Amino acid sequence: MWPNNKKYFYKEEAKMRASRVRKFMLLLFAVLFLIGMSVQFGMAGKSGKESAPAPEKEVVKETVVVSGPFSSASKAVEEAKKYKGTTLNVVWEAGLQSQDPLTMGPKWEELTGIKIKVVELSYNDIYSNQLQDHLTGGSSYDVITFSPLWLIDYVTAGVVAPLNPYIDQYMNKDDLKDYLNVYGAEGYGRIGETWYGLPDDGDVFVLYYRKDLFEDPANKSDFKAKYGYELAPPKTWDQFNDIGNFFTDKFSPKIYGGAIQRLEGQVYSWWDGAFSGNGGRFFDPDTMKPMINSPIGVKTLQQMVDQNKWMPPGVEKWGFVEILSAWMDGKLAMVITWPPIGRWSAGYGATVEQLSWVPKTKVAGKVGYVPPPGRPGLAGGFCLGISPDSKNKEAAYLFIQWMNSPEISLQRVMLPFALRDPFRISHFESPLYSSLWPDAPEYLNCLKEAAMKGQMELGIPGAREYAEAIDNACTSAFAGTDPKAALDNAAKRWEEITKRLGADKQKENYALWEKGPWNKEGPK
Amino acid sequence: MEGFMGEAANTVSPGSGRRLKSGWFTYRQKKRITPWLFVAPCVVIILLVTIFPTIYSFGLSFTKWEISLPNRPFIGLGNYAALFKDVRFLHSILITAIVVVVGVGTEMFLGFGLAQILSVKMKGKRFFVAAFLLPVMAMPVVVGYTWRLLWDAMYGPINQIIGWIIGQPFQFTWLAKTSTAIFAILVTEIWQWTPFMFLVYLSGIVSLDPELFEAADIDGASGWEKLRYLTIPLLRPIIIVALLIRGLDALKFFDVIFALTGGAPGNSTETISFYIYKTGYQFFRLGYGAAASFILLIALVLILSYLLKLLKTVME
Amino acid sequence: MRVRSRQALSQTARYIIACVALVFFLFPIVWIFLTAFKTGEEFYHSPPVWIPHSPTLQSFSNVIKTGGLRSLVNTLIIAISATVLSLFVGSLAGYGMARYKVGGTNLPFFILSQRFMPPVAVIFPFLIVFKALKWVDTYQALIIIYLTFNLPYAVWMMRGFFQEIPVVIEESAMVDGCSPFGAFWRIALPLVKPGLVATGVFCFIFSWSEFFFAVCLTRSKAVTLSVHLANFFGKMMVMWGEVGALSVMAMLPLFFLSFVVQRYLVRGLTMGAVK
Repeated sequence: MWPNNKKYFYKEEAKMRASRVRKFMLLLFAVLFLIGMSVQFGMAGKSGKESAPAPEKEVVKETVVVSGPFSSASKAVEEAKKYKGTTLNVVWEAGLQSQDPLTMGPKWEELTGIKIKVVELSYNDIYSNQLQDHLTGGSSYDVITFSPLWLIDYVTAGVVAPLNPYIDQYMNKDDLKDYLNVYGAEGYGRIGETWYGLPDDGDVFVLYYRKDLFEDPANKSDFKAKYGYELAPPKTWDQFNDIGNFFTDKFSPKIYGGAIQRLEGQVYSWWDGAFSGNGGRFFDPDTMKPMINSPIGVKTLQQMVDQNKWMPPGVEKWGFVEILSAWMDGKLAMVITWPPIGRWSAGYGATVEQLSWVPKTKVAGKVGYVPPPGRPGLAGGFCLGISPDSKNKEAAYLFIQWMNSPEISLQRVMLPFALRDPFRISHFESPLYSSLWPDAPEYLNCLKEAAMKGQMELGIPGAREYAEAIDNACTSAFAGTDPKAALDNAAKRWEEITKRLGADKQKENYALWEKGPWNKEGPK
Repeated sequence: MEGFMGEAANTVSPGSGRRLKSGWFTYRQKKRITPWLFVAPCVVIILLVTIFPTIYSFGLSFTKWEISLPNRPFIGLGNYAALFKDVRFLHSILITAIVVVVGVGTEMFLGFGLAQILSVKMKGKRFFVAAFLLPVMAMPVVVGYTWRLLWDAMYGPINQIIGWIIGQPFQFTWLAKTSTAIFAILVTEIWQWTPFMFLVYLSGIVSLDPELFEAADIDGASGWEKLRYLTIPLLRPIIIVALLIRGLDALKFFDVIFALTGGAPGNSTETISFYIYKTGYQFFRLGYGAAASFILLIALVLILSYLLKLLKTVME
Repeated sequence: MRVRSRQALSQTARYIIACVALVFFLFPIVWIFLTAFKTGEEFYHSPPVWIPHSPTLQSFSNVIKTGGLRSLVNTLIIAISATVLSLFVGSLAGYGMARYKVGGTNLPFFILSQRFMPPVAVIFPFLIVFKALKWVDTYQALIIIYLTFNLPYAVWMMRGFFQEIPVVIEESAMVDGCSPFGAFWRIALPLVKPGLVATGVFCFIFSWSEFFFAVCLTRSKAVTLSVHLANFFGKMMVMWGEVGALSVMAMLPLFFLSFVVQRYLVRGLTMGAVK
């Protein structure tokens, strides 16, 4: 019995083995071919593509901005030379954001001999990972990246070290005054007079609109006929709604009135600014009772729900990339979002390799900039800090001083692929920046204006949980829940959070937060 | 299948008895130790690795652990009590149950059906099998975001295809409403994990003795009868194991929810695992998260030990 | 002599169903594959773009330049080690439990219970331990974790497969003087090759695509593919081209692997053995 079956078995095996070897060779060849081709293509640049301009080689534009006795950047380089040979682990948001330190790091190494190793983490993980690392006995990271919203949490947990000793020793103090008032304010990078982080990003919402569509005489007369006032960039949310409806009625599906990011995890940022602009206030400062479900809050959310009606289908799940694609394709008359879109739609950075995933702009030269209706929101942003567990605290500090200094930070915000936005007065007044594209001066002005009256996201302990509650209320409302019910639910959660974290402590923290340039109610 | 050591002892021949006797142990003692030697590496590894984290986590679940509060006091069953009143937690249990029961159930049937179909000799079978395994080889994060793009209202091919079928543009936002979002989640999950069931069942089916099936053919059994009375009963241990493993994994279902909906709209598509992630990791409420995990653990221990006892009686 | 078996379905019907299933399972994979060759405008386009208009290999070169190959190698090393170890330890334990009923029902259940805990609950103490051992950002940390979390699966699967094969062969071997371990290694194990394949494939895939432990336990040296891929999805960007390219590069070895191991999914290894 056995021998017969064995022979059959082995014959089958041999046949299969032969065909398998053939398949293996074929597959191996295919894989090697693919890798070889890609490496070859990569090295040859874009020679295979038709009529694409050559990528810019020198993306970093040299700058000199010094006021006062000495330049913080040069001082940092001087002092850092004695740490030659060390390696710094720098945490940064993954993907495009990290192209910034990946480009500037080698320059720093050239100047000082200190190697920069960038640890890339996605935005959600940055908070927890750094926290977790510190609490389990730190020292994986030297330079800490954090959002001002986490400032208090991080300081309480001890994730960031106070920077004052180093600032006193090494920084040109004028640089601290160079921050635009909101970014240098209490609660952004500092608590009282103690600095924990150097503000590094001027993230603020701007309303971008299609000048060509707004100035088209046919559109102007149609709009006036229908709504009774001149077509112009909206100053109130009602106007915004009218204009959005108008363009969608007239042009969809080719062009829609506009789009705003409604994706979960992000949408609450837009609610915050609009709420404040409508006259809302997060808490009653005496009782710490949440006021997000007040009539103003409900009105704000209702406005957002109404706006969705004239926005493109699927907007409830749109994040930045979806908005970007539609905008660059010329499909939207207005967008309200973060600054980078303004640069990219002007065509700045179009040829850079790092932005190869960005759609080519069809709206260059047609984009206007105004602050959003009511009150713009300040969208978090970033600060650079150092870890108290680091073995190279001083070297880490010198690196962030250098990165954050007026002239180096100007270079960084001018990088074509930069996601860091101008945040220093010297940035806004820089003639070099203004020359980057024809409308750059208008763009800078708008950013500055919007930031000056911006509403910061709530930055007290538990900030992320409060934000999530609002975020959930928004997405529920978009799915059909009554806005009042959604916000009532969120308010209930707010009360639970406040109770859990200690109402008295939260009262203190809230009072502290309100001392910032962001007003208690209504725009200045 | 019974163990057989007793019989072997009885049928051992004098010569082999001498060979088996070696070193320190007598044959008898070795008989007692040998089985344990088989499982020893496994047990040792598991104990060494997981004992500390489990106990630590268990301890954490009895503390009030908040990032912004300096003290981490012992609060007894405080976290557990809060969890039973937590509507969001209870809702997440419901969603998890839906995903597990409907998702895993469908995967089981589809996977088994496909395995049956491919268990015979057919041309290109190897290509089919390799292709069916591809969904499991894609990274969950890529799967999640890709399916999110596929389900997109304007940018996704699913709506495009439906539009072709019904003859007019179809731009429904699947992921924006709870019911359709759950549907989308189920489709994605089934897409990703049916290949698992498929592979397990296929290996089970090919391990069966073909002589049994030939005998059935001689008796004139139809395909369906063979399936019902031969294949399924013989594969019962495999079926149960596959269900168990897949079910347990489905309970920790996370990546797809994270990418497709992030729990939205509101909290309506959060699973237990997602809620624990949010609470214990994103908000860093270690005590609360640990308590939720232990509730899950205890619930699973109870449910599964009951189920397994039930299955044991059914099997014999 | 072969009896004409009465199949439930005709050959044609089988092919049709298999092809429908093929389309369903392959569509997203092909989509990812094509995405690797697309340019910026084609990722989010209404109507959606299926075939890129002027395919480019730019994404592949980007991925290679930013350390994609390194992550791929890391993940291969970790996944293969974890799988081999899991298979060995797991099948040993599974055999013991199938044949000798070691630990009754409690031991298997205890082993299974390791799969109950969500990773989030235990990452904090794990980090404490690994920090003390200075094993953060190393291969061994992840290998040990994946081994531990694969074991319940490996043990239960192999136990199931061992229960399927008749005891008689091993019994006769032991009568002929084979040691218990020999019976396991030389007789039982070869008979459950399909089971080993299924278990191995999925241990590998679990280790290959695991994300949470990887992101918490690696920093820059041992970064795995899943972490690297996750970094392409950001708040302000999704680098679909790179995602597609890296996914393709990652799936190719797996596809090849699954093609190769199919020879073990052959019916009839126990054919005639009982006679």
